[in-house]
This record gives sequence, structure tokens and C-alpha cells, in this order.
Amino acid sequence: MGKLTLYGIDGSPPVRSVLLTLKALGLDFEYKIVNLMEGEHLKPEFLKINPLHTVPALDDNGFYVTDSHAINSYLVSKYGKDDSLYPKDLQKKAIVDQRLHYDSSVVTTLARSILRPLLWENNSEIAQTKIDALDAVYKNLNLFLETGDYLAGNNLTIADFHIAAVLVGLVVFLEVDSTKYPKLADWLERVKELPYYEEANGAPGAQIVALIKSKNFTIV
Amino acid sequence: MGKISLHGLDASPPTRACLLTLKALDLPFEYMFVNLFEKENYGEDYSKKNPQHTVPLLEDDDACIWDSHAIMAYLVEKYASNDDLYPKDLLQRAKVDQLMHFESGVVFEAALRRLTRPVLFNGESTLPRDQVNHINQIYDFVESFLEHDYLAGDHLTIADFSIVSTITSIGVFLELDSAKYPKIAAWLERLKELPYYEEANGSGASQYVELMRSKNFTIVP
Repeated sequence: MGKLTLYGIDGSPPVRSVLLTLKALGLDFEYKIVNLMEGEHLKPEFLKINPLHTVPALDDNGFYVTDSHAINSYLVSKYGKDDSLYPKDLQKKAIVDQRLHYDSSVVTTLARSILRPLLWENNSEIAQTKIDALDAVYKNLNLFLETGDYLAGNNLTIADFHIAAVLVGLVVFLEVDSTKYPKLADWLERVKELPYYEEANGAPGAQIVALIKSKNFTIV
Repeated sequence: MGKISLHGLDASPPTRACLLTLKALDLPFEYMFVNLFEKENYGEDYSKKNPQHTVPLLEDDDACIWDSHAIMAYLVEKYASNDDLYPKDLLQRAKVDQLMHFESGVVFEAALRRLTRPVLFNGESTLPRDQVNHINQIYDFVESFLEHDYLAGDHLTIADFSIVSTITSIGVFLELDSAKYPKIAAWLERLKELPYYEEANGSGASQYVELMRSKNFTIVP
């Protein structure tokens, strides 16, 4: 096996989804921090790796992979001892793929629309409509959990890693109401019990939670 | 081979991405029109099959699959005679996956849906300029992706189907300047040569554009 290098930063949910995958697969890797606040992602050295200037980016022995969902699928397919985290069965895979695209379309865009003004543009007012949209996301996630203990069915998959990572920051704006969304609340507790959860998502995510709270946002 | 049904409508870009794929694979299928304006996607039948209420939805015998990207990958893996459209090679596949996720978030959700929803479904008549200007970034990125003839390399993949469906639709908000984006223009011409292009994407894209124009929205600073 060649050398794996992950480029990213703890605050980024997509990066943490890859940390979860790497830990779940028991893979050795080097973690190189790309300081977004200092514009390191826009420097030529990083643009060579990812012209889209996003994190995470993976260097697998000289080959670059970008987009967290593509990275996670790639890692499981290449290094997984089995396919449980990203099933080869076409129907099961289609369910995981749909959850992954729900994350990259609806969830990520909403998270960015809430966090970008707050963290990057000094705007601490958040429109109630965004919180309503977040509630709608929780509703859908709760619906997805009708089919099993995890987001894509009865087994843990990379879909769970993406959502677990992004919810760390989002629950600061709207807690998951366990009466309204019992399956989602249960699922949150379930993923936190993964032995590598704290190291890959809990601890690295704590910083971003503190940062969000320090902004004293108001919902208007 | 199972019985395939695609639920959707021509105006919807992700439906068109799936139509392009079905045509490319030369698969027989039933096309079921879903009238979004009459909220057919919230009806009991549809909701049972797709609790997220989106189009398109694929039925393959008993399987119900939604999200256009998941549908396209499934169709190629299940029915294609080779893996050209969705390579089995892990690095090549990762490239296609990255492009499809780019389409999902940056193009579809952050541009097309964000601009379509207020006008078409919520009766709004104005759109904010900064949201429309985001489309410039999309054109910039897609132009930079086109280092080869197709988005993922030298041959056509489902990433091209995904992105062409939305790129040919968002022009209604901010037209593509062919002089500024020659690679995108050339890539579009290349795709238009596909024998099934007009039926699967061309006419539906025109429908979408006409529908949006008929709402007479204005862009406001």
C-alpha cells in the first residue's frame, strides 16, 4: 500500500467524514492541515492538488482524489476488508448514493448558507427560514431512518459519516428534538458509540462548535 | 431484464440526465409524467416509493431508486455492456463521482433549485443578483474541468449527462458567453451530436427555459 495523505482542517465536516472513514478502515495516513482562514487552499501548491480549492483532498501515492463523497467511496472500495461501508450490491449502493447526494446537495448547501455569513462575513443574524429548512432536513433524515438503524439501512455506511460530521455544527442552531425526530435522535447516540467517533469527529468538531457559539448569533 | 419506469418530467434537469443515460444504454422503459404543479409527487403512491418527493424516480421491478446520480450509476452498472459511462477503475470512478457531487451541490442546489423554486413554485417575481452571479463561478469551474473532450477525460461519462442537463438550463438566468467559455461551447456542440441528445435533453431544456421566461422574473441588486 502506498502512502495516504489527507489534506484538510478539523472544522470542515467533509474532512471529518473522511477521518471517520480512514479510522473505520484502520488506515495509516498523514494529515496535512490546510488553513482555510489564511487562504492556504488558494495557494498554487494546493491548487495543483485540487484546482477546485476545496478540502478534503486525498493524495494516494501521487494520485489525487477530491470531494469527500468520492474520497470515501474510493477508500472503501480500494482498502476495505469488505464492502459493508459502501455495498457492492447495486440496490444497496443506490440507497447509499442517494443519501450521499442528499448530503452534497441539500445538507451541505444549507450548512454553507448558515455558516458562511457567520464565520466568514461577520454577519451574526440568521434567518428563521434557514432554521425551518434545517428542521426539514431533520425530518428527511428521520424518514431515511425508517428502513433501519443507520441512514442507508441496517448497516453503518459512509452515508452515516457524512451526516454525523455535518450535524456536529448544525445542532448548535437547532437541537434534534427527540419527540419529533426519535429515530434521528437515537441514531445520533448510536454513531457516537463508535470507538473512533470521538477521535475522528467529536474532538475535531468541538472547535467549530466553540467558534460558532462565540459568534453570539441571533435567529431573526 | 426487469421492467424499468422513469418518473419525472422533461423540464426537470435531473430527469433529463437519466433520460440521456437510458437512451445511451438503449434500454426500453416506461416514462411516467409527474405533474409537480399538481403536487403529484406528494400523493400517497409516489410518497411510498420516494418519501423525499423528488423527481426523477426509477422503478426497476420492485426496486425504487431516487436521486439522478444514484439512478445513472445503477443503470450503467446493471445494464451496460462495458463500463465506459461509469468506469470501474477506482481513480476514474472517483473523478466521475466528484463531478456528480459538484453538480449536486454547486450547480443543482445552489444555482438551479435556489433560483427556480421561488419563481416557479412560490410565485416570486424577483431574484437576487448575487445568487444569479454565482452562475459565473459555475461556468468558470466547468471551463477549467474541460481539459479533455469530456468532463472526466477522453470519453463520455454520466458526469457529462449530469452537468449538461443543468448547464443547459441555468442559461435562462445568466446566459453562457461562448467567447468567454470556448471549451464549454465546444463540449456542448460535441454532446449535441449524440443521436439521442435532442430527445433526451435538448427539447426538455428548451421547455424549462420557456417555462421560466413565461414567469417574467426580474433580477434585482
